[in-house]
Amino acid sequence: MRILIVEDEPDLLASLAQALREEGYAVDTADNGDDGLFNAESTDYDAIVLDVMLPGMDGWEILKRLRKTKKTPVLMLTARDQTRDRVKGLDTGADDYVVKPFDLDEVFARLRAIIRRSTNKTTNVIEMGDVKVDTAARTVSLKHKPVELTAREYALVEFMALHRSEVVTRTQLYEHLFDENDTTMSNLLDVHVSNVRKKLGAEFITTRRGHGYCIE
Amino acid sequence: MKIFKSIKWRLQLWYGLILVVVLAGFGFTAYQLERNRQFRQIDDEIQHAVGGLINALQRSFWGQLDPNGEPISGRPPPPDEQPSGHPLINRGMDEPRPPGNFRQPPWKGLLVEHDTNSFYCVIWSREGNELFRSTNTPVDLVVPMRLNSPGPQPPQTRGAFRELFQATRRGEKILVGRSIAPELKELQRKALKLTGVGGIILFFGLAGGGWLVARAIKPINEISATAVKISAGDLSQRINVDEAESELGQLAAVLNSTFARLEAAFAQQKQFASDAAHELRTPVSVVLTQTQTALARERDAASYKQTVEACQRAAQRMRKLIESLLELARFDAGQEGLKRMRFDFGKTISDSIELVQTLAAERGVKIISEITPWEITGDAERLAQVVTNLLTNAIQYNQPGGEVRVSMASPNGLAVLEIADTGQGMAPEDLPRVFERFYRADQSRTGAGNAGLGLSICKAIVEAHGGTIEVASVLNAGTTFTVWLPLT
Repeated sequence: MRILIVEDEPDLLASLAQALREEGYAVDTADNGDDGLFNAESTDYDAIVLDVMLPGMDGWEILKRLRKTKKTPVLMLTARDQTRDRVKGLDTGADDYVVKPFDLDEVFARLRAIIRRSTNKTTNVIEMGDVKVDTAARTVSLKHKPVELTAREYALVEFMALHRSEVVTRTQLYEHLFDENDTTMSNLLDVHVSNVRKKLGAEFITTRRGHGYCIE
Repeated sequence: MKIFKSIKWRLQLWYGLILVVVLAGFGFTAYQLERNRQFRQIDDEIQHAVGGLINALQRSFWGQLDPNGEPISGRPPPPDEQPSGHPLINRGMDEPRPPGNFRQPPWKGLLVEHDTNSFYCVIWSREGNELFRSTNTPVDLVVPMRLNSPGPQPPQTRGAFRELFQATRRGEKILVGRSIAPELKELQRKALKLTGVGGIILFFGLAGGGWLVARAIKPINEISATAVKISAGDLSQRINVDEAESELGQLAAVLNSTFARLEAAFAQQKQFASDAAHELRTPVSVVLTQTQTALARERDAASYKQTVEACQRAAQRMRKLIESLLELARFDAGQEGLKRMRFDFGKTISDSIELVQTLAAERGVKIISEITPWEITGDAERLAQVVTNLLTNAIQYNQPGGEVRVSMASPNGLAVLEIADTGQGMAPEDLPRVFERFYRADQSRTGAGNAGLGLSICKAIVEAHGGTIEVASVLNAGTTFTVWLPLT
């Protein structure tokens, strides 16, 4: 899962990014409105965390412009908890909002919720044959036995699970599993895929040659 | 009693009383006038009758001597001339009369004896013997013994009778009376009528007055109803001013403007509190996310240090904000005692410029100043704060290689300080709001510590000195702040 954070307070931005990375997300950051909009428009993020008060273009404006081209789920960070602000945010196209000061757990939960909704899932648990993925607890089990996965491996399984029955290209996987600071070699993706196959069964992920990967 | 505390009822009571007094006065006077008129008329009739009787009596006696029947006046009959036997003695009205002068009683035409309301008459001889008594004389007639002079006497009222007791020149005493019962009855009727009319006037007076009072009181009721709503917390309520010219209309207008100021003050306070809370949200968010991230798992010392540093920055920012808020609150409460003294404002300005030189050098901004010694009265420390704040703004919102120009002037007893920069300037729509608390033209945090309170504090300080602060700006050309202070 790749997430963009647009926030101008450097300490807040840094800790948010760190916390989300530790949650297994690939995180990009922007500290002003213009960069934020550029990033949001040029990359397919799984979600965007957007502050309202920004130097340059403010959060409302970014949201308005972004909605012309993309349906990326957006979680607004607002300092005003008045109803009209919330209504304005939701009407402009925000998927949810969190009022500052917030708890990180709440931000994580709301992010999971908007990502889940954007992939038309209603629960946190995705079952694929013997494999069960709990996106809230971030655990994977095979035949009711927990399977140990690294953060990257989990992210790969989760993304594939959310896009089940779709062919996921390597580019897509790169875009959603690695952020702009990652300078990963392309064969690292193959390593992750083969590790997952070792842990969850060789036929769990099928390869569509020339297209990408797929979970049937 | 509550009813007597009400203005409406007290007013009603008072003018009701006044109305009753006036009506009673008029009614009584009218009644008295009518009564006097009636009595005068009766008296005239009685006097006329008495006169006629006396004339007739005298004629009856003197008729022999005076064949012309002319009344003898001015010549009282000598007592010895009088016959020993009175012509009337022992002669009743219905008795056959002796031939001669008294065939017909001369007053016969004056008396209608079967009518109890008509005149009655009693005649006594000089000696006190009753000579004549008409049949309709009331039985309870008292013989008035006292008769001082033969001259005309005023008629007297005795019960329902009006009587005149008079003596003729010869000495006969005549009492002529009349029942005034019909007149009294008539007067009673008139009195009733007057009372009735008075009552009707009183009724309409009270009703009309009540209506007027209710109308006059109505705005007061509206005012109090509005005040009740306002005290219940709805500050947007206003009194409906229909009659702006009336006293109550003026009162309502005054109250309305008071309410408006109250509402504005409340709104300002609310805005201030909400802005203050808003300003605290970001640093608190920093502390929360930093600490929660740090505590999520074991970390090395360096990353804990980073977290602590970030928290410290957030705390510093909150401290600055709290200090600014307290400062403003003190100015708002009027408790901020200015340490007023005579001091050299020019030196204060030079010191402030010295203070910001480092920042100016960092930003590549040049400060050009013409400072001369300049004595004014005020709080040197506070005014230095104003100058430093304005200079810092002028440098921060300037462009590299820009200028800040500081100049002074003193037209008509005022100290004028002008600080002009060549920075980005401000849009005209932002200018009226720059002194507002928490207002930032760029709508975002431009760095910790800048909560958008600096200019509000400057304004509060300058105004506490009895001065004014103004701003003029051209977008992309520069901003000029002007401070006007009284010299003393």
